Formats: sequence, C-alpha cells, structure tokens
Amino acid sequence: MIHRLLAVLSLAFFIGNAVNAEPFVQGGPIGSQTSDGYNALGPVVQQPIEFPHYRHARDMGINCMYCHTGARRGYVSAIPRIDKCIGCHQNIESVRNKPRIKKLFEYWDKKEPIPWKKVNDLPDYVRFNHERHIQRFYFRQNRPVREVCGYCHGDVANMTVDRRVKALSMGWCISCHQKDHKESDTNMKTSHGPGECWQCHK
Amino acid sequence: MSITNLLNNWSFYRNKRPYRGQYDLNRQYSEYKWAMALDLDVCTGCNACTTACYAENNLPVVGKKRFQHGQVMHWIRIERYWDEKMGEFPEKGASFLPMMCQQCEAAPCETVCPVGATSHTNDGLNSQNYHRCIGSRYCSANCPYKVRYFNFWNYPSTAWPAPLPDQLNPDVTVRTKGVMEKCTFCVQRLNEAKSRARTEYRLVRDGEVVPACVQACPTSAITFGNIVDPKSKVAMMWKNQQVDLYKDMQEKDNTVRGYRILEDLRPFPSVMYMERVRDMEA
Amino acid sequence: MSESGINRRDFLKVLGLGGSSLALTGCGNTDIRSGDELIMPNVHPEDFVVPGLSVFYASTCTQCGSACGVMGRVREGRVLKMEGNPESKISGGKICGLGQAAVQVQYNPDRLTQPMMKVGGSLQPVGWDKAMALLEEKTGPRSGINGEEFAFMTGAMSGHLKVLVQNYLDSLGSKNHFVYEALSPAVSFAANKQVYGVDMPRLHFDKAKLIVSFGSDFLGTGASPVHFAAEYAKFRKAPRGTLIQIEPKMTMTGANADRWIPIIPGTEGVFALGVANQLLKHEEFAQSVPSDIVSLVAKYDPETVSSITGVRSELVGHLAALLWEKSPSLVISGASVEGHTHGVQNAVAIQLLNKILGNVGKTLDGQAQSPFPQIAPNAGSFAALKSVNDGMGGGKFKAIFIYGANPVFTAPSFMGLRDNLRKVPFKVAFVNAVDETAEECDLVLPIYTAVEDFGSHVAWYQPEGVEITMQQPLMEKLYSDTRSMGDIMLDLVKQRRADEYKAWPDFFTYLKTAVINIKPAVKYADTDEHFWYDTLSHGVIQVDAPQQQIGSNFSAAMLDLPVTAEAQDPKFPFYLVPSERHYFRDGRHANCGWLQESPDPLTTIVWDSWAEIHPKTAESMGIKEGDYLEVSSQNGTLKVKAYLFPGIHPDAISIPLGQGHESLGRFAKGVGVNPFKILNPVFEKSTGELAMYGTRVSVKKTGESEIVVKDEGPVSTQMGRKLVVTLPADVAQLSKEI
Repeated sequence: MIHRLLAVLSLAFFIGNAVNAEPFVQGGPIGSQTSDGYNALGPVVQQPIEFPHYRHARDMGINCMYCHTGARRGYVSAIPRIDKCIGCHQNIESVRNKPRIKKLFEYWDKKEPIPWKKVNDLPDYVRFNHERHIQRFYFRQNRPVREVCGYCHGDVANMTVDRRVKALSMGWCISCHQKDHKESDTNMKTSHGPGECWQCHK
Repeated sequence: MSITNLLNNWSFYRNKRPYRGQYDLNRQYSEYKWAMALDLDVCTGCNACTTACYAENNLPVVGKKRFQHGQVMHWIRIERYWDEKMGEFPEKGASFLPMMCQQCEAAPCETVCPVGATSHTNDGLNSQNYHRCIGSRYCSANCPYKVRYFNFWNYPSTAWPAPLPDQLNPDVTVRTKGVMEKCTFCVQRLNEAKSRARTEYRLVRDGEVVPACVQACPTSAITFGNIVDPKSKVAMMWKNQQVDLYKDMQEKDNTVRGYRILEDLRPFPSVMYMERVRDMEA
Repeated sequence: MSESGINRRDFLKVLGLGGSSLALTGCGNTDIRSGDELIMPNVHPEDFVVPGLSVFYASTCTQCGSACGVMGRVREGRVLKMEGNPESKISGGKICGLGQAAVQVQYNPDRLTQPMMKVGGSLQPVGWDKAMALLEEKTGPRSGINGEEFAFMTGAMSGHLKVLVQNYLDSLGSKNHFVYEALSPAVSFAANKQVYGVDMPRLHFDKAKLIVSFGSDFLGTGASPVHFAAEYAKFRKAPRGTLIQIEPKMTMTGANADRWIPIIPGTEGVFALGVANQLLKHEEFAQSVPSDIVSLVAKYDPETVSSITGVRSELVGHLAALLWEKSPSLVISGASVEGHTHGVQNAVAIQLLNKILGNVGKTLDGQAQSPFPQIAPNAGSFAALKSVNDGMGGGKFKAIFIYGANPVFTAPSFMGLRDNLRKVPFKVAFVNAVDETAEECDLVLPIYTAVEDFGSHVAWYQPEGVEITMQQPLMEKLYSDTRSMGDIMLDLVKQRRADEYKAWPDFFTYLKTAVINIKPAVKYADTDEHFWYDTLSHGVIQVDAPQQQIGSNFSAAMLDLPVTAEAQDPKFPFYLVPSERHYFRDGRHANCGWLQESPDPLTTIVWDSWAEIHPKTAESMGIKEGDYLEVSSQNGTLKVKAYLFPGIHPDAISIPLGQGHESLGRFAKGVGVNPFKILNPVFEKSTGELAMYGTRVSVKKTGESEIVVKDEGPVSTQMGRKLVVTLPADVAQLSKEI
C-alpha cells in the first residue's frame, strides 16, 4: 500500500485563502481524536480486492464521483455498483489478466456483490449528508474534487486501499460547521454549517 | 472555563422565545418554522395517523402488560372525550383529540433537562437527542401535554422478533432503554426535503414534505407546512383563524375556530387546533 | 464548541454529575470504526436506485376489499412503509391503519415459511416437490376426482387470479366455487338489487346536506372507508352537512355524528317507515310513492314507532322535519340494520326515504358498469359457507381448497364446521400464516404476501369510472420456500389444460398478457410493452365506462315489517351486537402488533375483547368496569370483561369481532374472545344469510374482575379544560375559512 498521505488540506485552504499544505500528523489510538486538528489514522483494512485508488484517481484522473455516484445526490456516497466496474474493464484488455481484475470478474460472473469493508464508518445514529457538502463545495464553489472529498477522506488519490485519516468525531464536524465559508467565488457572503442536534443525529 | 463560558454567555441562554423577527424567510437558518393546523371537525378518530407513526418512526409495540403500566410509546395518540353535559347517551357523538408533541416555542421540557438533551432547533422544533439523554424524565414531568415517552425497557431486543426489524426505517434511530422520545414532526423527512431544496437553491415548497400522520390522514384533517412563508397553506390558516404564534392569548372573533391547547400556560405551541363543530339543531 | 456554546460535559460539571457515562442508543454500531461492517454494492441495479434514497412502487392494498391504490416505500430492497397512491381515485393518496399494517403481515414473525403436511395429526414441513406431488395425486387428472367432489372456498376475489381460479374449476368440471366472507355485504346487495337493480349504488356523501345513517359505519368499515372518509371531509366543509346516526351501538361514524340516536337493534326499518309516514303527509312528497305504500306506512304513527324502536316519539317528526328542510339528503343503511331476519326489508324501508325525498339520481346514482365482467369482483356470502358446510357434513367432497377465508374461526359453533371439515379426506389451505382452518388441513401451502406478489384487483365500490388497481411485488420474496398463489393456480390448471396454458410459464406472464388485452379499452396509443410498464408504474388503469342506470322500484310487499313491539325472551334479555372493529374486521389481520396496540377509537381498549354495556344497565346489575361477565346465548358462553359505555342501547351488549384466535400467531393467539362462536342460527329470511345481529344473550356477573387495559385516563371528560372545544354550527363561519 502506498503511504503518501500528503497534505490534508487545511481549513484556511478550504475557504479560499492561499494553499497551505499542512503535513499529515498521525493521531493517537484508533478512533481517537488529537488536539491538533482531529487527525486520527484508522487501521489498515483488508479488502476482498486490493483496490488501487491511485491508479484510478491519480494516474487516470478519474473524478471520485464517476464511481461514487451517490455523493452528489444522496446521503451516502456509496460503493460503485459492480456493473460500473465491468462497464470499463470489459474494454480494457491490457489489464484483463491481472489478479485483481480476474477476481472482479469472478464476482461479476457469479453475480455476487463484493463484500467490501466499510472504512469511513459513522455510528448508525448519525447521518452525514454527502450531497449537501458536494453540492456546496464542488458544484457551487468549484473547488477541485480531490480537495473537497479530501478534506474528510484524505488524499485517497495517493492510496491503494482507502484508509481513514480523520477522527470523524462530532467535535471535528462542529469545528468546521462553526466556521464561516464563502458562498462562491463571486458571492462573498459567508455562511456556516447548521449547528443543531437533529441535523445529523437521527 | 466552562462555568466562565456559561456566565459569559448567560444572556444567550436566557433567550426569550418566541420573539417577533425570530423567523425570517431571507435569513439563513431562520427560514423555516414548521407548524400544523388540525381540524377537529373532520378528524374521525380512526387512528390511521397513529399507525403511520408506528411505521415511520420505529415505535415499539409494547404489549398488553406494559400498556397497562402506561408505558405505551405512541408519539401521536387519539384522546376520546365525552361531553360533560351528556345525558343518558352521548347524543352529540364523541370528541376526538389527536395529541402529539406540540413543538412548543417556549417548551417547558427544554428548560428542565439537566443535560441539554432536548433543545430548540432553528426551524422551531423541539429536538430530542437520544444520545445525550440520561433518562431523568424531568421533561416528561414538566410537559403539560404528556406527549413524551420513556423507554422503560430495552425494546430493540424485545419488541421486534425477527424478521420484523427488516421493516425498521433506517433514517430513524431505534431507541434503547433509558432514553426519552417523542414526536419529531418526522424530522428525517424534513431534513431530506430541506437538503433537496438547498441543493436546488430554493426553499421547501408548500406541501413538498409532510409528516407520516399528515400523509396518511384519510380526511386530510391535518395541514402541515412552513408558517414563516405567508403563502403556505398552514400560515394562511393560522391567519384566517386569528391565531398568532407569538401571542399567549388570542383576541379573536367567537366565530373562528382556531385555538391552541393549554395556551394559558404560555408554552406557545406550534399546533393549532380547529374547534369541532356540531349542528345543535340536529 | 467555541465561546458562544457550552458542551454537555460543562453542564454536567455544573450539576456535579461529571464523569457519568451514558449507554448509547439502539442497535448496531455506535462507534467510529473501520473495517467492522460490510458494505455490499449492488451488482446490477435499476438505474434509479440510489443507495440511501427511497424508491416508491405503486401497488394495491389487499388488507380489505376496497382495493386502494397504494405505494410501497422501498429502501435497499426492503419495503418499509405503505403510503396511498395519489393516482388512485379510490385512495386519493391516503391510507388507513389497516393498510399500513400490510408490512407487518409481510415481516410477521409467525409467517409460514415452508409447505406443511399433516403427518400423524400434526403439521410437518415438507418440500414443494412432495407437496405438489400430493396435490397431483389427490386432485390431478389421475385421481379420478370429479367436479362434484371438489370444492374451492375463497374469500371475495377479483382480477385475474379470480379468472385462474375459475379456469381451474372449469378444468375440473366443477361448479363448487364457494365465496365466503364472514362479514359479507350480501343482504345489502340483495336489498339494493330489489330497489335499484344494482348491487351497490354510488353514494355522493359530499353532495348531501344531510346524511342519515342507519347503522352504517361508512367511515370505519364501509365499502371503501378511505374514499368515504375523503368524501366525508368534503361534506363537512362549508356549507357544512349534518350527519345523523341511528344505531344500537355507537360506531366510529356514530361518534362523528351531529346527533346520535340509540335504537333497539332490528327496528331501524320501522323507524324509517315512521319518518316516511311523516314525510308523506307533506303534499310535495305525497305523490312520490304508490298509494299502497302510503297506506302501509300510515300504520307507523310516532307512538307506534316509539313503542317498537324505543326511540322517543318526537324524534320521528324531528328527523322528518330535518329531511324536509335539508335537501338533497342521503339515507343509508349498514350492517346493524341488515343483520336480522327481516334485514332486506329493513334496508328497503330505509331506502324508501331516498325515494320519497328525491335523492335517487342526486346523491345516489349508478356506479360505472365494468366492461370486464370476468375480472369484476364476486361478493362473499354466508350462504356459500352453509352449502360448503352441508356438503362436507354429507360427505360430498373428496377434496377442498381454502384460500382467503378462515371458516373454522368465523363460522358460528352451531354449524359444527370444524367437525364437518375433518370429514373431507383432503384439505388444502393457501395461507401466509397458519390459522385455525389451516391447522385442520392436510396440506398447508405458504404463499406470497400481498407485497411480494403480482396481481390485479377491481373494487366493488368504484367512485369514478372503473379503476383496475395493479399489484406488483414491492420486494423480493422473503422466504425462498414460498410461492405465488397465481403460480400455484397456473400449475394446477396445467394439470388438465397444459396445451392451452403452455404460453405462460408463470403468473407474471399470464397477468401481463391479460392486462395488455385491456389496452384497447383505454385507448392507449403506445406499444404493448409501454402499456404494461406504464400500468405498473402508475398502479392503476382507469377505464371510462358507462354509468349503470338505476331504477327505484318499491312496493308495499317489500316493506313487510313488524307493527308491534317484539316480545322479550326473559331467559336472554339482551341483544348481542357483534361489532366490527375497523382495523380487525373478521379477524384475519389480528396478528399484527400495530393493530393490537392501536386503541379502539371509542373505548380506547387495546390487546383485548370487551363487552360494552350501558352505565345505567350496569348500575342496575351492579357491574363495574373490568368485572368479568358471562355472556351466554343458546349456543355458547363468552367470558369477557365489562366496559361501561354510554354509546349503547341499554338493552344491548356489544362484543367486538376479530379477537379470540386459537392460532395465527403470537400477537393474536389467546387474546380476547370470539363472538362469532355464540351466534344463534337466525337467518335473514329472503337471502338465507346469517342474521349477525339477531342473537339474544343473557349476562351474568362471575365475581371476577381485572383491570381494563386502555388508553383512556381515569376520567372520560375534559374536566373543564379547553381541550376539544365544540362550536355550534350556526355560529361557525366555515365559508370564510381557508
């Protein structure tokens, strides 16, 4: 697994100031949060197929949402449906015999779902709305997709199998929601995220 | 630091509610105030709303014994009253009263919660945070409408024998022993509608989202909507019935039917009832 | 939180509770984790499936016979909730509690998940192969069974499954299709047929200024309660109509009436004739009916009426005056009117008021005439049960199939149906859960629930045009060993007519072909395939059809009602009112927790049966709430708790139907008592239907007592608080409302 967890983008960057890459600092015990901005590296997760995110997102430059289609239109970003994988890979003969691709086709031939393990797993009583964040920061504010997704998910484009890099704790959510974010590049009005229990707790 | 914080922000916590200007269509996070109008003249007491609520909000079926002990969890219930001046027979029929959390603006439950588990949301709902609740039950004691329900038992392990859990709504938490719960105006539906609306840079349209009880009601006795929007049906009904959200006593004509229950206790409820009508000549 | 906030720990410190930890909620995961839970992607889903968002599929509710169009909310392949389908003219996008409970039928913990065969007196699981082989052996072509020896008992059916059942019977050369509904509309149909020439006229509640309902609980248990409720809501808007309810025991509709009048059960027709007598004295009405009727009703002067009905004599004139004043009006009758020996006469007498008042054609006209008689609904009757019971008792049948009916539970004990059923050598039940009847059967086949199956339905009450409501699966079948009733029927038909049916491998293709055949009738322009998917996605096919013409035929012979008060039997002084609860009906859905815990609207009692008794009567007998009573007829005794209920005639005692199951599942078994069992063999004289309200009982205190579990508080009035306020109709200005 490639371990180049670079530059988790800072909040300053997020609201449109100068690019201020901050080195990633490994956090405390798994699931905990640290005082330095909620960096908390999760455990290495063994997936049924060692999916190379770097190949797709970095080398091929594929937009995260090409596969994680739920992110722009639903609460969950969702793991891509298998026919999506097959849609491309049946036409890519060059890698057809690689072990990981062979495994993918085995699942497809059996019409079985791939039992992926959840890496960014919030508690069941919390609902994180991907749609709103993507609509607000990617579509409205035109931030690069790797930056928008990367704020919570880290630099996935440089990972093989995804690994959690943030605490995903409530304090961390709130810390961002309380800050003022510019509406868009042309509209200088700022706003913060909603801050009441029922927004996320169900 | 914390006590300092509390003292420094005392006025923030001592905020009077409701105050005029609290809601404003043009101010972010103030553009919604969910409210209801409930016409008691067409409510038939059929319990469709109650069952819809069970289905939508994962309410546990408690069984006879626990029902007898007053541990039933119906977030909306239909109360049935007989006329006080009834003779030998109830000649004017029964009076049905659907009673759910009134989402009071000055909610008596909120002020007594020792842990802030119940608080007011920006859109005028009285939120109940199960994860923060420690089960003191002060809120229930202080609720004049008795619409808060306490989980005396560990219902997740008893109330849904397999495969009934497959029916549970994934948008609503299944509450466990020791926490208080109550009607949320189906906040999961409201949140979904609000998100959709914000993505489309608009406000939630009137009638776009309704709680499960309103959707089911066969006589459409309940109207639900955003009372901040003067063009919404619910706002027009409140105005027409001369009920003002911000007043604790309404000065109205005796021909209009709108009223809020136990208004004199000053909780400023968000549910307006409309009087039952009876043809006295019949 | 920052400066302006305060977090919970701070609060705990303030209160000296620091360090206490909380048990967090519910099921599942309450931590932020990685790698513990699986996330299974769809392999090849429909394009519109977005994980985490609901998809709504249109279907039909089969919980009662009104065939409301519904929508199922589906998430991740599971149906979670039922909603009304706004495109359905029957439901209008609304739904009742019984309809909501369809998901509890689906996920019921007591569902039958595999075929069962009776081995040595008890039901044992078998495979489908063996089950179907047994069916073949006992009823197949080589079994030598002839049509006379075979009986198929179903509940009321409509749509293409009905056609298949008919085809199967035809293939056997059998005419023995017994359509049985314990709460059948047969008497009402017979009366309407006599008067109007149709089974059921179309009722315009919304157009009436005054509705006089004799025991019709149209809001709760009527022909189409959700539709009627919507019409009722319109009726209550300005100019607000008045509802008068005349019945022995207050129903939910009675509870909403402007005037509720208690009456001795069975005398409603006499009261109607008394009102007719008053009306016919007005010149404008005198010519509305033949003179022999005028002279017949002249016998019913207010005093006579009062002595027979127990209603104060001035109310006869009062009601006549109201009917005269508020036109158009609508007069309807219901189960408590029709369930007597002279039930048809009673209902006809009540319809006579519509004739006199000129309501026919105004608030009451013909339904649309269905252009597809083969899928039109059939109505169940008690007569069917009687003939099947006689046949079984006489050893006529070698095999019986039972679907959609639970006769062992609903047949009165005087019929001895359980014993007669045991005389049939081969009994098959098609069920979702093992009920009392299935317990007696030799083969019990688990079928799909309504939310797993395809189907088509036609309601027998059609508000506008003819609506064919489509049923489609809202989810994959929950249990691999269950089968579609349609598939089974198709297999059975193929036993004898394989060639004719070989084009259809399953019920789905059969239904699809059949539905596409409807296309010309609705003038659909696109292809067959489009029509099929359009039909499924909308859930309804609206067919314009000509309205049935209704007559209004009355004669004095149709109004042969008693002219003197009925003598009391001192041994059985009370009238038994076996009331129909709106979410229980004949008890087939009693195993749903939601329905058991949904309080009865009037008594607010849950999880039980009870006997409603008037407080005055109770006082005279020294009965208090919760006292166990022995309610005995000539045919049995029920031990049931008393509930003091002001909305009942002092000479009547009412016990709700639907409870008292000995089987069906954990939520129903052993709850309450079954009043079907103690009904006397009293029959409606022209139709032969069981007179449900014709049983007399005695009531005796047992001395035992138990608390009545109910939602109502210790007091039943508002104690002066302003909870439900009542405004007189002449003060209210509904026309100025929004």
